[in-house]
Amino acid sequence: MENSTDLRQAADIDLNQFTTVPDTHRGVLVSPDQLEPGDAEVMAGVGVHVENEDRSGTYILQDFNPLCVPVQTKGLELLPIAVALKKYDWLRKKYCFKAVNADLDKYTLQCASAADPQGYFVHVKKGVKVPFPVQACLYIAQSGIAQTIHNIVILEEDSELQLITGCASRTGVGSAAHLGISEHFIGPKARFTNTMIHSWNPDVEVRSRSGTIVDAGGTFISNYISLRPSKSIQTNPRTWLNGEGASLKYLTIILGFGGSTIDTGGDVYLNGKNSSAELAHRAVCTGGRIYQRGLLTGNTPGCRAHIDCAGMVLDAGEDGFIEAVPGLKALHPDARMSHEASIGRIAPEQVAYLQSRGMSEREAISLLIRGFLDLDIEGLSPELDARIAEIADLAGHGEGI
Amino acid sequence: MTNLLEIKALCVNVDGQDILHDLDLTIPNGEVHTLLGPNGSGKTTLMMTIIGYPEYRVTNGQILFDGKDITTLDITERARLGIGISQQRPPTISGVKLKQVLDFIIANARQPVPDINELARAYKIEPFLDRDINAGLSGGEIKSSELFQLLIARPRFVMMDEPDSGVDLEAINIVGQMMNEIFARHHTIRTKERRTGLIITHTGNILDYIHADKAHLILDGYIGYTGNPHILLDQIREHGYGECARCELWRCR
Ligand SMILES: Nc1ncnc2c1ncn2[C@@H]1O[C@H](COP(=O)(O)OP(=O)(O)OP(=O)(O)O)[C@@H](O)[C@H]1O
Ligand SMILES: [Mg+2]
Repeated sequence: MENSTDLRQAADIDLNQFTTVPDTHRGVLVSPDQLEPGDAEVMAGVGVHVENEDRSGTYILQDFNPLCVPVQTKGLELLPIAVALKKYDWLRKKYCFKAVNADLDKYTLQCASAADPQGYFVHVKKGVKVPFPVQACLYIAQSGIAQTIHNIVILEEDSELQLITGCASRTGVGSAAHLGISEHFIGPKARFTNTMIHSWNPDVEVRSRSGTIVDAGGTFISNYISLRPSKSIQTNPRTWLNGEGASLKYLTIILGFGGSTIDTGGDVYLNGKNSSAELAHRAVCTGGRIYQRGLLTGNTPGCRAHIDCAGMVLDAGEDGFIEAVPGLKALHPDARMSHEASIGRIAPEQVAYLQSRGMSEREAISLLIRGFLDLDIEGLSPELDARIAEIADLAGHGEGI
Repeated sequence: MTNLLEIKALCVNVDGQDILHDLDLTIPNGEVHTLLGPNGSGKTTLMMTIIGYPEYRVTNGQILFDGKDITTLDITERARLGIGISQQRPPTISGVKLKQVLDFIIANARQPVPDINELARAYKIEPFLDRDINAGLSGGEIKSSELFQLLIARPRFVMMDEPDSGVDLEAINIVGQMMNEIFARHHTIRTKERRTGLIITHTGNILDYIHADKAHLILDGYIGYTGNPHILLDQIREHGYGECARCELWRCR
């Protein structure tokens, strides 16, 4: 039996309180033009730009209504999962619940038992390098619902795909739940970059489970950014580096928030000879509870793994903290594995130094936070810039620029 | 000539300890002064107090800059008034590149900024532009990085704390050139464009590379002599700082 991180943080959600059936009285989204301006803005904040031409495909799920903008790239297919399951028999047989068990927990069971599953199906054919990112937005526009999502991404041999998934809720939405299963299959020498940005209202609860299987020479790059955490987020992406030389790079950025509980992990099984994994967790705590975990299991000769958890506590309030638990398990004598963890504050002498060059306290702290987060994905999300500025305000004495 | 910096009866307490006592210092516009004193005499303390580091608590006295009382302003406000520093031991800042700070300085510059890549080449700063601030830099390289930021920022008033410590004999020429550039001390430059500043040194060696108009001697947190740099330096070199406290130059408190 494979060991995995035990997700014990964040309370159990009573799913009976949420509706999972579409409200047929609501209009169905047929074009991105129909989005309300406020919604389009929130989506842009999580990296989904509906009018952007530099995208190879767009999928939007608003509550229960999927919308797929037809794809122009040859060898790329993007469909709502329900449509794909009807169209392709092999999808259910070969891929469905092969990377995430349907009965993993009550949330996956809920997703698996949905009569009409929601989510996206992305398929990239052999040798196809998708020129621009495919974007998907999983959007909650009304209170009281639970989205049950099932995404499947398949990259055939030697293909390349960048996927941006933005998950967010409409301003003002109250209690709601986002339950999701994501399964990724990365073929030999294929390269998959998955950037996921979350920005939720304070009463939304998130339980997402993902599984990624990487073949020989395949690469999985995953960036997860939680900008505005909900009441609770619990994720534990699992990756199987099964092929020889398969590699994984994982960056998780959590910007904490008072009153929230965030538990993120990352279990990696290094089964392929010379496979490698590099996990970096970064968290900035301005209140709330943040758990950074990860368990790397080295099963083969020549595998290399490193996990690094770093936390910055700015103003944790009464109940805020960061708990970093990087884990390693070497099952082969030749596995080379290491971990590090550090939690600290912003050093006042660094802020003062930057101020002596003319920066305001807020500008200095923003720059230090950016540096700490190691952000080279700048410009991806204006919301990220806004959030960092907000956090810098909280951390400093609130003086403007 | 008006005074750019005027310090009156300054007392400073650090971490519960009184470090500077009743200190007076005046630097007129366009003059470069030097502050000489032994280890632990309060030189760094004075500079950090003038730029406004909060842990240096002013318990008495005033700091006037361009006639304005800046004693209660924060570091940013003082920096924006035109005070710049080069620190003796600046912090290492991982995650923030020298280039990012220079970009900020350029974006906020009031005067046109010359091509920084060219300057970086000329002053051998290029390799550090994309490195985290002071991370893994040698003692001499740190000084160059500090001075280079001032060279780009061109503050009206510049303080340099031990700009030559840890700098080897070859690199000291470059440091000297940068200092002359920062203070606009080249012969071709008109007097009225000259910058004002304070060079802090305990050895005085750097004064072979830059002309100082006046020297101040600080002992135990108190400035007791102000005069010709060469005369003072000769005295110090001959008798040491220990004798200075007793010599005829030292004014009674
Ligand atoms: N944070 C502090 N807490 C306690 N004492 C301090 C602190 N900072 C400075 N001091 C003391 O104040 C005195 C003056 O220190 P300062 O660094 O200003 O000396 P300096 O003249 O710059 O010496 P050096 O030539 O060695 O650089 C010293 O005795 C020093 O120990
Ligand atoms: Mg000193």
